Amino acid sequence: MDFDFTPEEQKFADEVERWLALNHDPVVMDPTRENFTQLADTPERRAFMKKLAAKGWLGMSWPKQYGGQEIPGVYEYILNEALARHAAPQIGKGVGIIGKTLIRHGSEKLKREFLPKILAAEIEFAVGYSEPNAGSDAANMQLKAEKVEGGWRLNGQKMWTTSAHFADWYWVGARTDPDKPKHDGISLFLIPMKHPGLEVQSLPTVGKDTTNQVFFKDVFVPDDYLVGKRGQGFQMISEALDLERFTMFTLSPIAERTRVLVDWARSAMRDDKPVREDRDVRRVIANIVTDTAVAKALSTRFVCAAKEGSGKPPTIESSQYKLFTTTLSQRVCDEALDLMGAAGTIREGQDEAPLRGRFEGAYRATMNETVGGGGSEIQKNIIARRQLGLPKNF
Amino acid sequence: MDLQLSDEQQLIRDMTRGLLKEHCPRAVVRKLENDPKGFPAGLWKQMAEAGLTGLLIPESYGGGAQTMLEAALVYEELGRAIAPTPHFVSSLLSAGILLAAGSEAQKREWLPRIASGDAVITVAWLEPERGYGEAGVKLVAVAQGSDLVLSGTKRHVQYASAADRLIVLARTGAGIDLLLVDPATPGVKLTHYLSASGEPHYRVDFSSARVPQSARIGGAGTGWATFSRVLRDDGLIALAAFAIGSAAACLEDTVEYAKVRKQFDKPLGAFQALAHYMADASTRIDGGRVLVHEAAWNRAQGRSVARLAPMAKLFACNTYQDVTRTCAQIWGGVAFTIEYDTQLFFRRAKELQLSWWDVPYLEELVAADVLDR
Repeated sequence: MDFDFTPEEQKFADEVERWLALNHDPVVMDPTRENFTQLADTPERRAFMKKLAAKGWLGMSWPKQYGGQEIPGVYEYILNEALARHAAPQIGKGVGIIGKTLIRHGSEKLKREFLPKILAAEIEFAVGYSEPNAGSDAANMQLKAEKVEGGWRLNGQKMWTTSAHFADWYWVGARTDPDKPKHDGISLFLIPMKHPGLEVQSLPTVGKDTTNQVFFKDVFVPDDYLVGKRGQGFQMISEALDLERFTMFTLSPIAERTRVLVDWARSAMRDDKPVREDRDVRRVIANIVTDTAVAKALSTRFVCAAKEGSGKPPTIESSQYKLFTTTLSQRVCDEALDLMGAAGTIREGQDEAPLRGRFEGAYRATMNETVGGGGSEIQKNIIARRQLGLPKNF
Repeated sequence: MDLQLSDEQQLIRDMTRGLLKEHCPRAVVRKLENDPKGFPAGLWKQMAEAGLTGLLIPESYGGGAQTMLEAALVYEELGRAIAPTPHFVSSLLSAGILLAAGSEAQKREWLPRIASGDAVITVAWLEPERGYGEAGVKLVAVAQGSDLVLSGTKRHVQYASAADRLIVLARTGAGIDLLLVDPATPGVKLTHYLSASGEPHYRVDFSSARVPQSARIGGAGTGWATFSRVLRDDGLIALAAFAIGSAAACLEDTVEYAKVRKQFDKPLGAFQALAHYMADASTRIDGGRVLVHEAAWNRAQGRSVARLAPMAKLFACNTYQDVTRTCAQIWGGVAFTIEYDTQLFFRRAKELQLSWWDVPYLEELVAADVLDR
């Protein structure tokens, strides 16, 4: 048992930390964007990703033949947590979901076309799984893909494509085989985001960022851009989610919010007395700090399960981590506002507010964390069935 | 980062589990409830032979010289079995206090006997109408010549009737002292009362009980520092591990029941309302277990556990208490009966949460470390 990084891992973590301090840029690194900091959605943030690429930090765990270094996934975890801690864009979708799926299942053509661009940070992806009638029931996606000469014609709608308004390519699940069982009739496609048949409509959120819905009208996709085997789309999606859940919900932003809250509580005053002398404040802080330590423990458990190399994806560990951590993430915001009292009502971004309204903003921005990427109830179903062996319950 | 146990650690865990399965099945646990002595002689002997009673004691005093990490694994197993033993008060706390502050003569006299299981020492700390902190210790020890004369009352003294010595926290002119007291000393009276768990608790009245000044462990006035450090750095981690083991065992029983018990023609576990309780419980248990291991590992590395150890006991005991209530809800009406085992855990969970520092006290330890340093 060992709760420290190995000397090599620690050396890498220190190097990343030094590099991030050197490359600090408030335009790129904006903690008030909360979980949206992971996106490379502005020219400055894309330029930052290019710098990461130049360091050789993209695709570190990929096989050497595709430009990777074949080093353990824990290095990507270390990098991503550090990026998240600094509110910098992160390595999520391209290197993780799309890159790793292409390496496992993609054709030589797709590998040659996309993998070098991913490694060079020359390409950003949007991911389209959810639909109006495919939320938690992700396998219910109905976006229609009809076979036509030389390719496929797609019609329908996607929801919650957060990156649609800035991405270059769209990674989309569509129903190619409506007569097959719902999990076996889905295929994955790659579509240029600027395709004239795609219409992106912005959906402003209660947080400060937007997501999108995307409408497909006779979108032609050549045969070559169906990823992997026809009908295997859902299996590839699930596999990638199992491997990448930690990149979607990093621990660092929550640990950072706990740290920011503790710092505030150490110095804030109310009625001419230090807030920290209040017994209720002390109890709340003690429990938040404790639960943050448990979230870290669950993250350690998840990383170690991935590392132990049984070949089995750490599905149970990742579900437990996601369930506990996202619930805590919201609670930290809630408790923080409670501790601030009336001042907690001041909208984010104003000097008037404690911590410029960091927690007012985070309270809104984190609302979706227990829903996106598999809601809490989905995680509980996974744990109940796969860990506890309870019968299917839906 | 690596959460895997070494071969030796697995061996200790499996050996402890096997030993408890054989010598401490639930029937034994039930039989010893409310018993004044409170622990099975056979089990204690087996634990001694297996080296568990001397687990943390250095080899030079006849112990196994293991670290807190191995102790956490053993305690998780003791918790799974909800084993009634004086291991905590004797092998962990009292041995820890003697090791930390005892004279060489005191160590030589007692540690080998604790390690062999031949002697049991328990701690007389809490008092009626008094709190868990330093200010709670009111029992006085007045110097008279070469003696100290003790007057006052202790309560929540576990396994006292089996104890060869009590380590008494007493207030002297210098502050708080730790005194090794023979319970057979004239003026010391033990009164058994029933505890929520059914484990043996005693009230100990001291009326002008006389002990030599040489009974003091460590320097005058250093008693609270010694006691609270040993309880925090070793005790809390062991209890947290015990709580996690108990919670895990209670949940496992419940999950198995939820697979076979049917209502509305479906197993209970096929209802999301219940399955989600169990998923939440297992998440908290698994997270708590890693936190306990992290605290134990840091302790074994010689690093500070000033924050980790209280967090571990706070979270583990809250989880244990919460899990037993959840499990009772899943079992339904039968959980309310004495016949079914859930109540064994249900009562112990609350007692453990209130023992050896309660929730507010632990929260304050964490808060002080986070906010005041």
